[in-house]
Amino acid sequence: MNASSTTPSVTEVAQKQMKHTCEHHAECMKIIQAILDDEASEAEKDHFRENMDKCIPCIESYRLEKCIKDSLNNKIVKKPCPESILNTIISKINS
Amino acid sequence: MLVAMSETLTTNEYTDDLRYEVFNREFMPHIDSMYNFAFRLTMDEDDANDLVQDTYLKAFRFISSFEQGTNAKAWLFRILKNSFINDYRKKSKEPSKVDYQEVETTYNSEEASDTTYTVDLRADAVQELIGDEVANALNALPVDFRTVIILCDIEGFTYEEMAKILDIPIGTVRSRLHRARNLLKEKLRSYASSMGYDS
Repeated sequence: MNASSTTPSVTEVAQKQMKHTCEHHAECMKIIQAILDDEASEAEKDHFRENMDKCIPCIESYRLEKCIKDSLNNKIVKKPCPESILNTIISKINS
Repeated sequence: MLVAMSETLTTNEYTDDLRYEVFNREFMPHIDSMYNFAFRLTMDEDDANDLVQDTYLKAFRFISSFEQGTNAKAWLFRILKNSFINDYRKKSKEPSKVDYQEVETTYNSEEASDTTYTVDLRADAVQELIGDEVANALNALPVDFRTVIILCDIEGFTYEEMAKILDIPIGTVRSRLHRARNLLKEKLRSYASSMGYDS
């Protein structure tokens, strides 16, 4: 009735199936970026869904790419346009 | 609403009132993004000021070629990018053309497909970087690579919009963006390791 103690747990099975190297990583990098940019084709999305939970290099790359993209978007200070430029533009188009 | 309006306009003829109305409603809301784009291209406040002014004055002058209901921000960015190439890039101190070709050649070679970029930069290390460090890494890229990252990751344009802004095919947008990100990772890695975040 009970699984024997030698039966590997679900997480152990999962870990055993995890890939530690990716044989097509350069291609995967392009797909990962397309996914993050919301520009992936259906075929790329399928590839991503099938591979992303079992390939450690791809999981780490996804985290890194996402982190860089988020940093660019959130951390870099956006300056307001100086008022003087605005005023010059308005006065020039009105003249 | 905007789409419906553009459908009712069979020609692009603008009355004077409409010119001002479209300018204020469609163009002015993007002035901060335009200023930041100009500054990141020229890396100089005075040049950025001139570039934004020139772009908005051109946009007003050629407003009849703007089709209402289409993406005003992409239209403006394209004018700014063209003005930058024609009027500012020449006098810029940055030897961007040379750099660009060199880099493009390097990254077209076989080495470009290996995975060495990612192995020694970790997401945790990037997370520790402050905005100035990320900005400096971005600013250290040759201008063509900097541009695609700004358009995609900071301004959120689609590949199709980027292709129109830059006058290049979508495939080139993709590959240039890919190379730009590899370069950026190298710059970020050197910041991360100088901060001791890399281990």
